[in-house]
Amino acid sequence: MSDNPYQNDRGNKDRSITKDGGGTLSAAQNDPRQSTGQKGEPFLIGDAMTGGYGKGPDILHGCTIAAERGEIAVIVGPNGAGKSTAMKAVFGMLNVNQGAVRLDGEDITHLSPQERVVKGMGFVPQTSNIFTSMTVEENLEMGAFIRRDDFRDTMTQVYDLFPILKEKRNQAAGELSGGQRQQVAVGRALMTKPKVLMLDEPTAGVSPIVMDELFDRIIEVARTGIPILMVEQNARQALEIADKAYVLVQGRNAHTGTGKELLADQEVRRSFLGG
Amino acid sequence: MDFLNALVAFANFVFVPGLAYGAQLAIGALGVTMIYGILRFSNFAHGDTMAFGTAITILFTTAFIGMGITFGPLPTALLALPFGIGATILLLLGTDWAVYKFYREQKASPVILVIVSMGVMFVMNGIVRFIIGVRDINFADGERFIVTARGFRDFTGLDEGLAIKTTQAITVVVAFIVMALLFWFLNKTRTGKSMRAFSDNEDLALLSGINPDWVVKVTWMIVAALATTAGVLYGLDKSFKAFTYFQLLLPIFAAAIVGGLGSPLGAIAGGFVIAFSEVTITYAWKKVLTYLLPESLAPDGLVQLLSTDYKFAVSFAILIIVLLFKPTGLFKGKSV
Repeated sequence: MSDNPYQNDRGNKDRSITKDGGGTLSAAQNDPRQSTGQKGEPFLIGDAMTGGYGKGPDILHGCTIAAERGEIAVIVGPNGAGKSTAMKAVFGMLNVNQGAVRLDGEDITHLSPQERVVKGMGFVPQTSNIFTSMTVEENLEMGAFIRRDDFRDTMTQVYDLFPILKEKRNQAAGELSGGQRQQVAVGRALMTKPKVLMLDEPTAGVSPIVMDELFDRIIEVARTGIPILMVEQNARQALEIADKAYVLVQGRNAHTGTGKELLADQEVRRSFLGG
Repeated sequence: MDFLNALVAFANFVFVPGLAYGAQLAIGALGVTMIYGILRFSNFAHGDTMAFGTAITILFTTAFIGMGITFGPLPTALLALPFGIGATILLLLGTDWAVYKFYREQKASPVILVIVSMGVMFVMNGIVRFIIGVRDINFADGERFIVTARGFRDFTGLDEGLAIKTTQAITVVVAFIVMALLFWFLNKTRTGKSMRAFSDNEDLALLSGINPDWVVKVTWMIVAALATTAGVLYGLDKSFKAFTYFQLLLPIFAAAIVGGLGSPLGAIAGGFVIAFSEVTITYAWKKVLTYLLPESLAPDGLVQLLSTDYKFAVSFAILIIVLLFKPTGLFKGKSV
């Protein structure tokens, strides 16, 4: 992956002297740039982003994704289309060489992921998105780490949204089922009272019934006025709940429209919804 | 009566020393397990960190006694302990800034940090010897015994005496306080919880706004306090010698691994397991058995399984057995 000799593990698998699972998150190095939002542009927009990891080749090519207030925006596309990559670009984990990311009209392209969290972006990664050894309640507390005010109200709201979490509040999050873990993950991200919520494949690896329930919950979150930007594998269901949908193919915008439009679009259906 | 005598002899030669030694190992192992859990590598410099903290504490103890400040019946070293901890905190934060920080920024794989800590170990080894020398130093003062063997015999009328050294009692009490404080800190405070979160999932901790630099700093500070306390308690109970502290690394690591690396509860349990195994296996059981067995079966030899010179073989053997059959340790080695 990298040619840094310090990261060469030399095949070490000895857990008695080292503990794996260290940080892998690397913030992108982006120069501040002068981009100003046009009037009436979406709340969060990754505008014509071109970029890739580190010094590697570009993965995104002029890709635009955006989330409007109170709406659910969904990114779908075939495997390797750059869905998650586009999400990471918006969250500052990918070098954006051209284009810009703006939140509420303010350019945030040069901010690190942590700084974006402070700015009001909530992010739920696809994997290892909870603290498995900590209780559900502690997970939520950690979500609210940057808040110095009283966050009990927010916690009550999260418990109202996900009643099962209240029941299991003192249980270690790692002992929960896949669907419950995702609820913890979303709940943790909601604890900062984010202005926009980004979900990377929230339904990966859960059963169809749990998936429907999760989608219902996500719609509920959106109804509270938080814009949601979501990457989804289950394109059909995702398009059904999407107010705005982006189909990416090889790092480019292939189709854009409302969820219903894309569901009706012959080409979209043929190319990857399976008829 | 014979049974009581056997019990008292057992308490005097096995239980009380084992309890004190176990508490010392447990505090040492807590430090190792904190580094493992949060910074993700085994810190080979831990024994020499203990030696450094103890050396500075000894210097302050000598200075205090010179100035006529003592702690009454308690050892003066307890008054000097905070200064030893302070100096060790400075040393560890300095080491982190000068050495470990570079590797963290490189996102070096943990196995590299293990080797780096070995280098740090040699340097600290040298620093300690340079400061205080290589000889054996006894720095315990104040009242020597809480219960003397003669006093116990006169009081109970038994043949066997039970002696409890002040340092043994202090060790157990201090260990208990330290453990309670540490658990309270890790489970109840905001910083403590953020450290557990960082240990559990570093990326998510960053995304939650937890400042990794602060977590690392607090970890080193706690480790400095734990290492110095463990070192001073061990030195009070026995004596201080730079080389002995370096050797303590083995039982301490054995304790941390037996309990399950990364688990504070495991470190404590592991400390006592190792200590009691060492003491029971190297103790000459002749006296206790003579009391318990009928005269015809009384043992001729010492009934000592291993000479005390081989006590490290015990921790080493336990270490290997645990790694072979239960590599995650007693407490499943989940993250701190």
